Order: sequence, then C-alpha cells, then structure tokens
Amino acid sequence: QVSVLYFARSAELAGLRCETLSVPRQITSLQLWEEIVKVHPRLAVIRDQVVFAVRQEYVLLGDQVLVLQPGDEVAIIPPISGG
Amino acid sequence: MDESEDVPKDFIKLKSEKLSVDEVSELVISPYCGAASLFIGTTRNHFEGKKVIHLEYEAYTSMAEMEIKKICGDVRQKWPSVKHIAVHHRLGVVPVTEASVIIAVSSPHRAESLEAVMYCINTLKASVPIWKKEIYEDEYSWKENKECFWANSE
Repeated sequence: QVSVLYFARSAELAGLRCETLSVPRQITSLQLWEEIVKVHPRLAVIRDQVVFAVRQEYVLLGDQVLVLQPGDEVAIIPPISGG
Repeated sequence: MDESEDVPKDFIKLKSEKLSVDEVSELVISPYCGAASLFIGTTRNHFEGKKVIHLEYEAYTSMAEMEIKKICGDVRQKWPSVKHIAVHHRLGVVPVTEASVIIAVSSPHRAESLEAVMYCINTLKASVPIWKKEIYEDEYSWKENKECFWANSE
C-alpha cells in the first residue's frame, strides 16, 4: 500500500491530491503508471509529460523496477515551472 | 577575527506570505563577505498577448526543500568560497509585479556570488517540484519550464 500524491494538472485530472493505492511490492515504473491510470483514466493524456517521484527521487516512466515498501510516497510530477 | 563564528548556512523557505528582499539579503550578509548577489523573479503582466491577472504556485513541499538543499550543496562544491545562500519561494497567489522567488548568495568577492545566483535559479527551474499556473482573464494555463529535464517542448 503506497501513498500516491497528485500535483498541478495531474491533480485536476484525477480530481484529488492524495490517496492510498495497493500495488505489488516490485513493479516497473510503467506498470505503476498503468495501475494508476486504471483508477483515473483521465490521466492518460499526460502520460508523455510526467515522471514519478518515488521516496522523493525522480523516476522516469519505463522499465526501471521499483521496490516499494508499505507507506512509501509516490508522486505524479507534471512538467515543473518553479521560479 | 574568528571566521569560524560565521558558519556557512543555507536558508530555504517556501511560504505563502509576500517575500521580502530586505529579509532575504539580511540573511546572507556577512562581515567576512564583500559581495552579496540577489535574483528576484517577479510576475509579468502578459504572456503571448494575453493579460496575466496573477500566478498561482503549488509545490511538493518536502521534496522541493530537499532539491533546493541539493542545489545549495552543488553551489558550495562549485564555488567553495560562497558563504551563505538564501532561497525563498512564494506559494499560492502571486499578483503581478510581486516576487515569486528571491535568491541571495554572499561570498568574499563578487564573481562567485554572481555566478552562484545564476546557477541557483537555472537549476531550480530544471529540478525543483514547484508548479505555476498563469491566470488570464478567461482561462488559465499550467506553465512548463523549458529547463525541465524530462518534458519535451514541441
């Protein structure tokens, strides 16, 4: 069970900022994205623009295998615009 | 003169209240430094012919503070003489002409602080999880920094 955080456009598309999701302990970042899109199909439109932050480290959507612990924070990160 | 009393510090703050140039510059001023350089990012009143009413910022706060801390660490590696670094970023609504970000760096001589400030704002725009929404008269737009290392600008 991980905490998924939504920001900016992804929060608007998903309709919420935070939720708990049950996912396998080992999963590729792309598979994790697909799990999230199952719950929030409107997110599919931003797939090419987002990355994840897993335990506050950036992870690109792809084949990288994530090893998740219960309570880990996974954030959807749309293109940033600070400053 | 005991410079060990003036330990180099990083001052990082994300806040919704109006930012103060006086406050940020005072944080970095040091009797051992002859230079303090400052960058102020302010809200512009137009974008591509559209009138901007105001900006709204949101942040993944815990990670943003960590990424800014990493930038401070990079600065100290590249410019070891840098003394203090302050980065204040505003969250929430920022009206036109008000500051959304103020960065200040002090060093004994001016070259390092000037270069370090430029590095800070450029790297912040590439790596810190903060988002800006531009509010126009009848629509809005989530902005994307061209420095963002994963977004494709088409």
